This record gives sequence, C-alpha cells and structure tokens, in this order.
Amino acid sequence: MADMVNILVDGTPIAVEKGTLVIEAARRLGIMIPHFCYHPKIKPDANCRMCLVEVEKMPKLQTSCSTLVAEGMAVRTNTAVVEEAHKSVLEFILANHPLDCPICDQGGRCDLQDFSHRYTPTKSDFLDVKRVFQKEYFSPLIDKEMNRCVQCLRCVRYCDEVIDAKALAPIGRGSRTEISHFTSHQLDCEFCGGCVQICPVGAFTNRLSDYEFRPWMMKRADTVCGYCGDGCTITLQSREDELIEVISSFEKGRNSGDLCARGYFGYQFVNHPDRLTMPLVRQPDGRFEPTTWEDVLPLLAERFTQVKLAYGSEAVGGLITSRGTNEDLYVFQKFMRLAIGSNHLDSAARFGHVNAVEAMRRVQGTNRWTVSYEDIVNADCLLLIGTQITWTNPIAGLKVKEAVKKHGAKLLTIEAMQPSIETTSNIANLSTTHLTVEVGRHPAAVHGLLKAVFDEGVADNHLAATASGYVDRTRAAVSALPYPEGMDEATLRTIARTFAGSRRGVILIGQDLLQSPGGYEASVNLMDLLLLLGKLSEKGWGLAPLTEENNEQGAIEMGATADYFPGAASLDDAAARTRIASAWKESPPVGAGMRMLDMLEAARSGKLKAMLIVGENPARTLPASAKPAEALGRLEFLVVQELFLTETAKLAHVVLPASSYAEKSGSFTNSEGCVQKVRAGLEPLGGSRPDWEILSAVSVLMGYPLEYGDAAEILKEIRAVIPGYRVLGATPEPARVDRPAMDRYVGGGFAEDMASRYRATSNITQDSSYPWSLWVGQSLFHSGKLSTMAKGLLEIQKEGRLYMNPADLQRMQLAEGEMVTLTSVAGEARVPVGALGRIPRGILFFPESFKEAIAGLLTMTPDAVTGVPYHKQQRVAVHKT
Amino acid sequence: MLIEPYKDRIAEILGRYPEKRAALLPLLWLAQETQGYVSEEAMREIAGLLDLTPPQVFETVTFYSMYNLRPIGRFHIQVCRSLMCALVGAENLLSWIDAKLGLKTGGTTPDRMFSLHQVECLASCGTGPMMQINDEYYERLTQAKVNRILDDLRRDGKSDLASGPFMFPEPSNKSSESSCRTN
Ligand code: SF4
Ligand code: SF4
Ligand code: SF4
Ligand code: FES
Ligand code: FES
Repeated sequence: MADMVNILVDGTPIAVEKGTLVIEAARRLGIMIPHFCYHPKIKPDANCRMCLVEVEKMPKLQTSCSTLVAEGMAVRTNTAVVEEAHKSVLEFILANHPLDCPICDQGGRCDLQDFSHRYTPTKSDFLDVKRVFQKEYFSPLIDKEMNRCVQCLRCVRYCDEVIDAKALAPIGRGSRTEISHFTSHQLDCEFCGGCVQICPVGAFTNRLSDYEFRPWMMKRADTVCGYCGDGCTITLQSREDELIEVISSFEKGRNSGDLCARGYFGYQFVNHPDRLTMPLVRQPDGRFEPTTWEDVLPLLAERFTQVKLAYGSEAVGGLITSRGTNEDLYVFQKFMRLAIGSNHLDSAARFGHVNAVEAMRRVQGTNRWTVSYEDIVNADCLLLIGTQITWTNPIAGLKVKEAVKKHGAKLLTIEAMQPSIETTSNIANLSTTHLTVEVGRHPAAVHGLLKAVFDEGVADNHLAATASGYVDRTRAAVSALPYPEGMDEATLRTIARTFAGSRRGVILIGQDLLQSPGGYEASVNLMDLLLLLGKLSEKGWGLAPLTEENNEQGAIEMGATADYFPGAASLDDAAARTRIASAWKESPPVGAGMRMLDMLEAARSGKLKAMLIVGENPARTLPASAKPAEALGRLEFLVVQELFLTETAKLAHVVLPASSYAEKSGSFTNSEGCVQKVRAGLEPLGGSRPDWEILSAVSVLMGYPLEYGDAAEILKEIRAVIPGYRVLGATPEPARVDRPAMDRYVGGGFAEDMASRYRATSNITQDSSYPWSLWVGQSLFHSGKLSTMAKGLLEIQKEGRLYMNPADLQRMQLAEGEMVTLTSVAGEARVPVGALGRIPRGILFFPESFKEAIAGLLTMTPDAVTGVPYHKQQRVAVHKT
Repeated sequence: MLIEPYKDRIAEILGRYPEKRAALLPLLWLAQETQGYVSEEAMREIAGLLDLTPPQVFETVTFYSMYNLRPIGRFHIQVCRSLMCALVGAENLLSWIDAKLGLKTGGTTPDRMFSLHQVECLASCGTGPMMQINDEYYERLTQAKVNRILDDLRRDGKSDLASGPFMFPEPSNKSSESSCRTN
C-alpha cells in the first residue's frame, strides 16, 4: 500500500500507516515505551520526556510520542543510553513525589509505580526539600492530591480537547505548577470523570470510592451503561457484591472509554438501601406485607388467570421500561401476547422514540439508523436539531465534537440552547451556523429548511426527473409556507445550503424534537430533506435519532410496543406473524394493541382490569393533569416489578423486587442499533430477580411455560424470530435503506398526509397572562428518576432548579436559590431559581428528573398519529413571592 | 466592572488582533492598571469577552509574575534579586526599605501605600542595585536615595529620582558616574 511506512523497532520490522507515531508503532509490536504525557485520545504534547528513544542517524534521543514514523527509520527502545534517560526523568519526578503509595487509590494501577518498579531507582542525587502543596477541597466527587502530580497535563488536555469543557488549568510555573479550577473555587464542570481516568498517577481520584479498595481485590465485569442510548461500555468493579466503582478503557466500546457523569459517578443506586429485596403483597388493610417468591408466584398466576376468565384477555395491559435488557423486553411482550393473550402493551419508547422509528420505517423501510458513530465522526457536515446533545447523549456529543474539532467538519445547530461559554461543554459553541429555537418550534424550523432547499435551488436534479410528482408536490406544499416567524431566513438558507453542499452529512435529532408536538411529522420531513438532496440512500448520509433511555431501540425491536411485533414488524404483517407463530408454537393475538395513554384511559373507564408494569412509573412520569394515579387506582389488579417503591409501585397490589442492570446478563441495543452484551457484575440484590425470570416463572404457573435456562437462550429465540439479531462486534454495519420501501414512499406514500405534514405550525404563542415558555428536559447529571437514587449525582445536582438567563434573573431582581411561584393554566408550583447563560431570554428550563416539583403545572397533548404524550413544554407566569 | 467604563479601550485592544484570544494579556493589563490587581470579576469578564473559560484566564494570570491576584498598595515596589544586583547589594536594598517602611517581601504597608516583591532581572544589570516602582525604574540605589524616593512618593505621588528604563548605555554628559562605557 502506498501510504504504509516500514520501520524497525528494536530490530523487528513493522509496516504502519503514514502519520503514525513511533510510540504507537512500538505498541503494535507489544513494546510499551514508558510515557506519562502521551495518551492516544489527545494530541501529543511531549512535555514529560519519559518516552525518549534512540533513532538511528539522529544525534539526540527523540520523544517517541511526538515523532512520526518515516520510511526506513530504525528505533531502539532498550539501549543503555535510553535506559539512562528514562531513569533520570524518573529521578526528577520522584524528587518531588511524596511516595505515599500505601494510602493512594491508584496504587496497583499507577504508571509511576510501574515505571519505578521497572527501573528500580533506589537512590537520588537531589538534595533539596520536596515541593509541598497544601491539600485543598476540590469537589464532592473528585479528589485532588497535587503532591502526586507529574505535571503531564493529560487531565487539562482531555478536558479541553475531548470534552470541550475547559474546566481545568495548570496554575503557576515550573515544578510548582498545579492543576486547578478557577482560583480557589471548587470544581464546577461536567464531571465526566475523564480527568480521573486519564491521570497516570493518583493525583485525581474518585471520592465516591476513596480508600475502599485495592484494584486487584475487585471483581470486574465489562458491561453496558444503563442510562442513555449512547451505549457506553463500562467495567463494573465490585467487592463482596457491592459496586465500588465504574471505570472504562479507551480501547473498548462504542465510547472508546469516554463516559459522562451518569456513567462514571451514577452507579450507587445499585446498592441503595431502599432497593426492594422481597415481594410485597397488599393486605386488606392497605399495608404491604413482605412475602416469599414461593407464595407470591402462585398468587400472580391465579389473579391474572381470574381476570382473564372473568373479563377476557383484552382486559389486561402491560407497560415496560426501556431500561430493561432485550431479553426482558422480549419475554415481557411474549408473556403479554401468549400467557395473557393481549396485544395491549407498551414501553417507554412511546415517550418519543416511536416517532422517529415510525418515520424511518415509512420513508426508508428501516427501524434503525442507516449510519453509525463512525459516520458521524467522518462526516464533513453535521446538522443537529433539537438534540441538546451534550446533556442528553454526551458520548454521541463527543463524536460530533471529534468531527468538528479534529476533522474540521461544519456544524449546523438548530437547538433550544444558545452559545455560551461555561465550564461544561455546549455544542452550540462549536457551531458554524446556529439558530436558537424554542422547544416546540423545531418542526417549524424543519419547514423553513425544506423551503430553503427549494429557494436555494439545491434540490437534486436527478430526483426531480425520476420522481417529478413527489418533488413537485413537496415543492408546492413547502412554497405555500412562510418562513417561520421569528427565525432568520438567511440563517435557515445558510444551513440548507451548507448541508446540501457537503460531502457526507448526518442529521441528528433528539428529545426536544421527538418529544414535542409535530415530532413525527418533522422526522418524516427531515427524510424528505435527505431525499430531495438526493442523499437518503447515499453511504455516510442519514438520519440519526438519539434515544433518551439505554434500550429504547431494543424495546421497539423486541416488539414491546403496541404497534409492533418483534423485529418492529406491524401487527398485520403476515410473514412476521407466521415466523413468530412457528417460533412460539402458537399464534400471537390478533387485533390492535392499546398504547400507553389508551391503556390508562381504559383503566379509568373500567375496560382494563389488570396491568403488569415493569420498571415504568406513569404515576410520576405523566403530568398530574392527566391523572395517571387515579386511572391506575381503578384497576382490580396491578402488579409492579421495580427496583424501588415508586409512586406507581405504591398503587400496586403486588410489588416484585427486580434486579438492576448490574445484576443481570443479556443485551442492550443503543441509539445507533448496536446490540451489545450486558454482563452481570453482582449477584441479584437480596431476593430480587431479573424481570424476565419473574415473568418466566409466572408463565409456567399459568400454563404457558416460557422457560429459558439463561439470557443466552432467549437471545437464541430472538434470533429465530428476528433473523440476524445478534450481539455485534466493535464496529457494527449500519442498516441500509430499503429501496422498495423508499420507492413506495416517493411513488405516492408521501401524499397520504402531505397536507398535515406541511401545515403552517402555530406561530409564537403570545399569552400575556403566561409570558414565559417553560421547557422540561433532561439535564446532564440525571436521567429519569433512577439517577436521583445515585448518591454521586445528587452531590452535583440535588434538586430541581428553574434555570433562566442571568439577565432575566437580574431583571426580575432574583438571587440564585430564591423561591418563585410558577402558575400555568393547569396549576401552580414553588421552586428555587438558578442562572444559566445558555438558556435564551424569556425561556425557563427545569430538569425532568425533579419534575414532581412542577407536576401540577404541566398539561399533556397526545400525538394523533403515534400516541406520544407530549408534556414537556408549558406557558407559565413567574411570580416573585 | 471592567467592561462598562472602558468600552472604548477594550474595543481598541480587541481591534488590534485577528484572533480574539490574543487580546488576553493587554486586557489583563488594563484590568490591573484600573484596579491595581486582576480581580476574579475581571477574569470572568475577560473570559466572557474572549470566549475563554475563567480557568483558562486564571492559568495565564498565574504564569506571569507581573499580574497581581490580590489588591496591593498604591506603589508596587519590585526589587531585582538576580545575580548582578545581588552582587552589588540587593539584600541591602531590601533592608533599607524595611527600615524605612517596616515592609517585608510580599507585604503591604498598613496605609496600603506600598507593596514589596522580589523579582528576577529587570534588564538594568549595569546600574544595580535597582528597583521598579509601578512603571518607573530607580537605579544605583543608596539608602539615602531610597529614603528620598519613598518620601517623595508618599508626599507627591511621584519622584524625580525615577530614571528611564533605557539608561544604558548612558548619555555621555552624565558619564562621569559610569563604571563602564562604550567609546
Ligand atoms: S469535565 Fe470535569 S471531570 Fe471531565 S475532564 Fe473536565 S474537569 Fe475532569
Ligand atoms: S493531575 Fe494527573 S493528569 Fe493532571 S497533570 Fe497531574 S499527573 Fe498529569
Ligand atoms: S449515560 Fe449515556 S453517555 Fe453517559 S456513560 Fe451512560 S451510556 Fe454513556
Ligand atoms: S510521553 Fe512523550 S514526552 Fe511525555
Ligand atoms: S540583575 Fe538586576 S536588573 Fe539584571
């Protein structure tokens, strides 16, 4: 190959790509050149001099971390001269090091310790006092011991180059340089934990686990994070069935070792003392009585059977969280469809992801992305619409940052938050072109983009010739629309033009778009945009909807929603029905399934008599105005499988203790459709059991045995039902656009709802009694209610604050932390306020994980097509009382 | 507040460079000139002006010894302690200042008039011992001269014993005192 370079390392020849660093070439031969400041994730800085090697024909030793390979280069890593150089660098570092390994958490996995062992320096020629830094309180989660610092600046560079938070700085000069945040303030950053993990020594450590362990005492399990849809590979480190810490490795996973605060610091809900450990059965006097599995299982079988006999299978509904494994989700829907005999089942994917999947199925015939993270990194243009990516999907956000910062990709953002430099990253700061759009108005912005495509004349000519009906009608529909009020036409046109003119582009959409009215239509319209540019089926191009919970994609693919069988096949897909029937040896029920809101309505009206709710908490999640608790309260029999006694569990007749992701095996499917292995790191806590095991046990007693030896057996069956479903390797091959489906859409399918998809959406709502626009969304430090059971995350964000722009706060003469009263058409709430520069003026943001504080304010509108309950945006008034 | 009252000067400084970030040092200098030191608030404001985070600005401030992070006296005395000055009695200079003001290195007089720091070579090696007070140099110091300078400053806010920073090579009419000259 032309761009390969041949070199010799310690006499061994190796061919590597041009542009490879000598240290990397050596690593490939298994030769580890000692180093501190070098790390493959960040740019070489060559500041520590530890990696010196001899290069033939070069007079002086070279730093292998910053020297590129050249044809014919001969490198020596183990000569006496090199050895001597390494020794003296170590001697310099050790001159100031406190040598406190016995009390340092890094002991046993410390580069300095390892290299010192290797070179066994036993004496030093330095006669001077050691540098001593006063111990400072740094932050609740990260501890800092600067006396151990080797000043490699890996932490500072990682925080800047990879995370883009720029929260750390080297302070002072020379050997007295120390790493600090701003003056003596405690660290305020995104708490990704990256600086702790990348520090080669014990200068930064995790306070949640300090002094708890020695690395070699811990049991390790590689698994997948259970918070968001990014699907990061993590390693659970435990001792005696207590989860001590979560770490990651830069060589592993779709995240290449990067994590966010939730993944790195959010694990302690697993061993939380409030976890349910025994089945609970409600007594006639209303109390819960703990019981055993032996007693509770027959009770469940009996009661479900009774309801079926008395009212029919249709009187039973099921709801499941999309945090479960594919195996849980699959067995759940099979239990509902076979043991119960009802298609009335749904999952948390209903809160928004179904909008995207339905759109993708319709236009491109896939139920997943046609791109992967690699396509994001390699794109030369990325268009983000309503993602809030650095908070909701931080690692997908890192892929975007990598494309922009490393490869110079253009970034176009249509987002609810505006650019503002703070010590947590903000994707809008990296934008080439940015448009701030209030949540709820992203669909209007999409209209504007489509209009701009025609106005800029960038639509694909080939398509205009081959599918003139589609193009003409879309043009006509779009031209009839005005540019959306309050959005700059020139900016929309620039975005459309830039995106159209790029080589490879990916559109990322997220919660702000998908969980707001018009989310489904906007997703379809964005695929119109890709079609019109002639890019939908081009390699490297595609639509990438991000998921909020870790396994929303899996929930849909496992058939755990009302609309689909496993494989995301329609309930009326005859071929899928046959395939399923042959695998199940019995036919799944016919008839449409009720979705989440339909089921609650049916419960309210008395049509639905019993429900099985697995890990989902509608009593909290849906707004108070929708009266979910009242509806559930009417059920004759409510069973809840849960980790904690949630609002919904408190309404149940039977509560069953479920195991957390850390205690079970199976698989998760991330946003991009990558199926990854989940491995148990701990034994199930107390008497808890994995969700599928519970359902499997009940099914046996009901006479419909869904028996599996382990999770792997379930996956085997899943593969029979969904051909090709399996745990994927390091780089999954993304799905391809299904030509016939696309042709059907372009050939006429598009016309079905053309008028409603390109209807001018409501303009900016002006309501003088409710002048503020409140938006309830996910914050970086939390995910649903689960994360609020994690001590570490509570340390950084312990309550919901109403965030507003500092200028608004000043205008209202409010101080941070002061209480205000909010009113809306639905009710009122009292909450403390906070300032955040990235919130545009006139907008209020409240973190979703604490929304019970504002539950009374919110109203809900269900989507007419996809049944998504929209409840994240509300007009409100703020009263300073 | 740095931005409001100095809008024009800030605009002028920003106008000098193609890259915003390049204006960091002059803006810090402006902050120090107007407030006597670089305050946290100033660092935050400058960070905001230049699209940097406050820790990045703090990093730069701590790298240069000429920026003060704490309020200091009206007159900032910086005594050179590098080799040439040390050879001709920089130590004495410190003791004279101490005798006159009761002021030690790192300290500030109770009336907040004078602060004292030791610094490395100020490039006036031929005329030591020397010190810099605010923007002026004072060279070839003796105890009597030091006393007079400090009295002048306290009384008048300036002293005519100040010498330009570019005294060497000296103008020939004052050459009688010179120990070294170029012909
Ligand atoms: S964001 Fe915080 S935790 Fe992450 S690298 Fe920067 S300082 Fe460390
Ligand atoms: S804290 Fe760790 S990573 Fe940062 S400079 Fe010091 S040794 Fe390097
Ligand atoms: S929450 Fe998402 S981004 Fe954060 S570690 Fe988990 S999977 Fe990764
Ligand atoms: S690793 Fe090469 S100089 Fe630090
Ligand atoms: S040694 Fe004092 S000015 Fe140079």
